[in-house]
Amino acid sequence: MKYVILGSSAAGLNAARELRKYDQEGEIVLISKDIYVYSRCILHHYLGGTRNLAQLNFVESDFEQRYRINWKKGLAGEKLDCGNKQLLLSDGTREGYDKLLIATGSHNFMPPIPGLDKANNAYGLRDFEDVEQIKAAAAKAKNPIVLGAGLVGVDTLSGLMHMGKKCVLVEMADRLLSKQLDKRAAGAYEKAFEREGNKFYFSTGVKELYLDSEDRIKKVALSTGEELPCDLLVISAGVRANVEFLKGSEVETDRFGLLIDETGRTNAADVFGAGDVTGRTPIWSAAVKEGLTAAANMAGVPRKMTDYFAFKSTMNFMGIATMSLGNCEAPDDTYQIEIEDDGTNYKKVIHKDGQIYGAILQGDLSYAGIMTQLIANKIDASKVKKPLFKVDYSDFFHIKNNFEFYYDKSEEDTYE
Amino acid sequence: MQRIKIDRNKCIGCLTCVTACVVSHESCDARNRVTIDSGRKAAPIFCRHCDRPECVYTCMTGAMKKNSETGFVEYDKDHCASCYMCIMACPYGVLKSDHITHKEIMKCNMCIHRTEDGSPKPMCVEKCPMQAITLGEVE
Repeated sequence: MKYVILGSSAAGLNAARELRKYDQEGEIVLISKDIYVYSRCILHHYLGGTRNLAQLNFVESDFEQRYRINWKKGLAGEKLDCGNKQLLLSDGTREGYDKLLIATGSHNFMPPIPGLDKANNAYGLRDFEDVEQIKAAAAKAKNPIVLGAGLVGVDTLSGLMHMGKKCVLVEMADRLLSKQLDKRAAGAYEKAFEREGNKFYFSTGVKELYLDSEDRIKKVALSTGEELPCDLLVISAGVRANVEFLKGSEVETDRFGLLIDETGRTNAADVFGAGDVTGRTPIWSAAVKEGLTAAANMAGVPRKMTDYFAFKSTMNFMGIATMSLGNCEAPDDTYQIEIEDDGTNYKKVIHKDGQIYGAILQGDLSYAGIMTQLIANKIDASKVKKPLFKVDYSDFFHIKNNFEFYYDKSEEDTYE
Repeated sequence: MQRIKIDRNKCIGCLTCVTACVVSHESCDARNRVTIDSGRKAAPIFCRHCDRPECVYTCMTGAMKKNSETGFVEYDKDHCASCYMCIMACPYGVLKSDHITHKEIMKCNMCIHRTEDGSPKPMCVEKCPMQAITLGEVE
């Protein structure tokens, strides 16, 4: 059996390890543009100088030898021929497969701002090459601007700050991390960043870039009419799935990305998918679990991935920790909101009829994993005679024969 | 693999296990906890070193990993980025960070640091006066 995996990040590498677990004999070929193993989620630590390349590695240092993986680095898939079970690679060679996993991830979306297509000092933060370029450009930059205040934008800001830079951040929404945080929680970060000399422009877009004769950005024009000096622009305006190479193949994609079922299968025989390439669940744990699920099924071990709750994140900027789950604002006034706020620790839970729909916890996150579980699995917490913020596993306590914990699904059903 | 077996009915909520954990790790925090449910019954909540460990799946640095030989979920504090995703991911709310630097995740290691050969020797189990927690072999 010959397995081919495209992509060497969370989904691809976890799939490779899992394949070896189930198939000691099979040939595993890993093909990736990336030539190093690195975790994209911590690239800003490299930017800020708090981690080196080796410290970005998220698998065993002897991964290739240990799991006997033939890793072809610096190569991408250009075309897929499902009929002949062959991939055309970027160096012109062909790679046949018995089972293929597409875990090609995504790339930065570059918004249609006049001047951006030509500018040579504008970057996204996605790949290791990106962070190297930003780091080099930032060393000399006096007026760095970050466009977009999502998680990647704020990661970039914190990395640049660690380099000693003071940045301007421009964001269309009215606050930082608007998908994850409400005004109160975002405000804590805004104040902390502003104290360090960074400046925010909210409810503002970038209208145009002014370039010099060498196509370097000199100035940006904001939607408010204001103009700001700029010598480095980092764009974090979202991502798009890496599915271009599937054009002309029989593999189905939609406007988000690759289509897979809960076993990781695409519509094409023996072609599987996992991770950000689906354009649906862009978080690390989903990529890992999709990779493990696809790998098991590729090796003939039936498994399903049913954890679709991806609207969750934690962050830790400027020494302030926050966890965000589900809706950060109540959809309408039929929902109840509980808030506790002592200035440092801010907690908010949005609930209705015993079910929790969203939560923000800022400050102390101790033991808060329970909240994720209650929201993700729609567990009725109304039987718990404690304040919602104090709910713990004791009221759901169950032990399996192998001493693991579990939640009693039948019990949940009776409460529904 | 070996797991700590919890017999909840024997637990009297004395917190000796919690103290033992702090002592064993020479820490300011415990890696286990005992809570009281709505019916006032004590519940020892200990890391299960799960077969499908959510904390490992969500760890973006590789600091949290499953040892395929012992089955234990091991944590490397030097490789950890203190992103707290594991705290969020643990379905049973076992994890937290240390309360002083907020950098290190308080993660049970089965007290393998107490033996020469890395076999488990949990101090919580040794000190429990009720034998509510015992070490057992599971599939």
